[in-house]
Amino acid sequence: MPARVFAIALNTFREAIRNRVLYLLLVFAVAMISFAQILSLLTVGSEDKIIKDFGLASIDLFGVLTSVFIGIGLVSKEIERRTVYTLLAKPIHRYEFVLGKYAGLVLTLLVNTAVMTLWFLIILAVKGMFDPRLLLAVLLLFFQFLLITALAVLFSCLSSPILASVFTLCLYAIGHLLWSLDLLQAKLKGGAARALCDVLYYLLPNLANFDIKGQVVHGLPVAAGTLGLAAAYLVLYGAAVLSVACAVFQRKELQ
Amino acid sequence: MAVLELSGVSKSYRTHLSLRKYWILRDLSLSVREGEIFGFIGTNGAGKTTTIKLALGLIFPDGGSIRLFGEEATSVQARRRLGFLPENPYLYDYLTGIEFLDFHARLFGLGAAERRRRVRELLERVGLGNRGERQLRHYSKGMLQRIGLAQALINDPELVILDEPMSGLDPIGRREVRDIILDLKARGRTIFFSTHILSDTEMICDRVGLLVRGNLKAVGRIDDLVSREVRFWEVGLKGVREQGLPCGRVVSRRDDQILVRVESQDELRRVLALVNGHGPSLLSVTPARQSLEDLFIREARGEAPSAPEGARAG
Amino acid sequence: MRPEAKHQARRMPALLALVALGAAILVQGLIEARAHDRSAVHPLLYLPSGKYLKVAALGFDDILADLIYLWSIQYYGDYAIQERYDYLEKIYTEVIAELDPRYIDPYLIGSLIMSAEARKPEMALRLLDKGFEKNPDQWILPFEAGFVCYDNLKDYVRAAAYFEKALKVPGVHPLVRRLYAGMYERAGDKRTSLREWAEIYETAGDDYVRQVSASHVHDLKVEVDLMDLKDAAARFRRQAGRPPGRLGELAARGLLREIPLDPEGRDYLYDRDRGEVSYRGSLVLAR
Repeated sequence: MPARVFAIALNTFREAIRNRVLYLLLVFAVAMISFAQILSLLTVGSEDKIIKDFGLASIDLFGVLTSVFIGIGLVSKEIERRTVYTLLAKPIHRYEFVLGKYAGLVLTLLVNTAVMTLWFLIILAVKGMFDPRLLLAVLLLFFQFLLITALAVLFSCLSSPILASVFTLCLYAIGHLLWSLDLLQAKLKGGAARALCDVLYYLLPNLANFDIKGQVVHGLPVAAGTLGLAAAYLVLYGAAVLSVACAVFQRKELQ
Repeated sequence: MAVLELSGVSKSYRTHLSLRKYWILRDLSLSVREGEIFGFIGTNGAGKTTTIKLALGLIFPDGGSIRLFGEEATSVQARRRLGFLPENPYLYDYLTGIEFLDFHARLFGLGAAERRRRVRELLERVGLGNRGERQLRHYSKGMLQRIGLAQALINDPELVILDEPMSGLDPIGRREVRDIILDLKARGRTIFFSTHILSDTEMICDRVGLLVRGNLKAVGRIDDLVSREVRFWEVGLKGVREQGLPCGRVVSRRDDQILVRVESQDELRRVLALVNGHGPSLLSVTPARQSLEDLFIREARGEAPSAPEGARAG
Repeated sequence: MRPEAKHQARRMPALLALVALGAAILVQGLIEARAHDRSAVHPLLYLPSGKYLKVAALGFDDILADLIYLWSIQYYGDYAIQERYDYLEKIYTEVIAELDPRYIDPYLIGSLIMSAEARKPEMALRLLDKGFEKNPDQWILPFEAGFVCYDNLKDYVRAAAYFEKALKVPGVHPLVRRLYAGMYERAGDKRTSLREWAEIYETAGDDYVRQVSASHVHDLKVEVDLMDLKDAAARFRRQAGRPPGRLGELAARGLLREIPLDPEGRDYLYDRDRGEVSYRGSLVLAR
């Protein structure tokens, strides 16, 4: 089983690397990070914050875009373009296909994030403002990408590329706005309505768990165990999402 | 032993917006025996590709069962001994020929050395020996069909399923594919392929199955299905005056050549007798038998179109 | 594979999904439990200035402003958070105002929080100044500022200045004029106040306003008259070395153009011995 998953993962990675969209996104990411440098010239006072803020935000943004679009391109497109037929006629389980795809995407995101981070670190080093906690922030962002990609894979198994992109992006937005559910709950009176808020709050992916950008940039303390709990959340929620994806794909009719 | 067996298989689909069911296959039963070449013919849209997808576990039947080597079609183990080439295969165009075959080989758990050997061997066999390094996006249609075939054979399968394998190939390509199929049979493999080009089947198939609108209209050896009696002869003559013909009907003429159709041995003899003396010469004698095409057209036209399920049910 | 085993295998992914999700929820619960001082590290507190946020918001500035504003109301309503006012100015003046300068509510609520709760009236005035700068058509902003000066700072002169600004905006509520008038009164400038109230009386649209303004005019006239008379009497005394015998002498001397009559048309009372001028009636409004 692992050999087959690995074969698919490797193939997926190869496809991603040879995909022009990936490079386009990378170029833009690098440009944005560089732009921070220019912006910082406009500010009065410390340029520290601007560069760090912008750098992290760029990595965040482009990482998310890569997770969504490359993820969907590589799975949804494959299902739509039926390259998957020859693959599934081989002695592989359907879930191996899903997991293999995901593994390939993880690898792709690793390389992608590494390149962006490297460029970011270079800029920081040149200005002498390196802070190891920034790496921690990037690591958590990487966890976020992994979760978003899992969602992208799930939606790819469910619907067409365009719909899958829309759904994934919506969940991304919702995942960052869960605090509003909290607030809403405080305003509601009925027990059932409040319970519904609770249910939604815990069911929806809580992407705020992966966001410590503000804390790191402002030099505030990051609670011990944040990393561990975020990793645990990623693994568990991600496993749930991928399991559903496998279940869906198992039953899917490949017309 | 039946290598592939469908029993009472039915498959329907609904379009997204309507509630009506359309039956693609209805109560289809078919079995393919070990070592034979089975040609699956039918009109476009008859359900040939659907049948193949059911056999591969890509889609699931509404009713009935499908077994490969005695196992459920959806079982992973059964597919170990199977090779498949889809119609108009979409392939990973960013891979080179070698990478493509190697990838598929890995899925069988073959070791690196073994993979290299087989990839090389198959590329030669399908005539792509020196094109392995190029990316598939640069392959012509014929080349894609060949690499697709190579992929189907990478595991030396006992059963090879091909969906329209000759489509889009030039005569040379088609001859090569035919040769590969015959070669597989010689090695004791079973081949099941679908096509709507009848001459291909007539040349190589042991048995055929004719699918018309989801129903299997005929299945068996071609000789059994199609009467082999000669229906008429066409005799090509030169230098004969039409008025001088004892019998028969002239079906075409050019300059001083005519083509005469005769319906019986007797008439044939009488026409041929014209040539015995000096003067007229015999150009050709061609017997015409009922062909598979005749059977095909008769069956395809014969049945009145059936009303869709929902309309009848009302 | 035997049928039963196959069924189990098919159910596996679904089962796994449920278990994993359940565990994920537990982890989330843990995260929530630990972050109970999450207010202290709430990411919204560390937003970059609105100018930069605008760039990031990619055109969704308005929505972003809305969201932040909504969040802020809840945040500042949560009295358990001790340090919640630390970033008050930042949130309202630098972020929301920059993201959506024409959104009026945050200026009003923000200034309210700043003046009434955080007790930082100058901060409130800065916010309202910024608001009015971006929305010169909103009289309510300088009005609110005037109110802050009046109520919190007890600076009636400044309040009056703000109300004057508000009055310049077309469509301003008539009440503002009355407040403006009142400010001058409070500031001690009864003359201007009287003038304003008289104006209000002249332009009053309804009986209530007419009545209120009439009262103010009445009382202020008395006060202003008495002030003028006392003033003139004092000057007379300095010039003549003695207090005037009658009020009429003030006019004769040219210290007053004419001797005012009280609102009822009667003379003001003059007590020569004590040197006091007084009004024989009573003021309408209790002072």
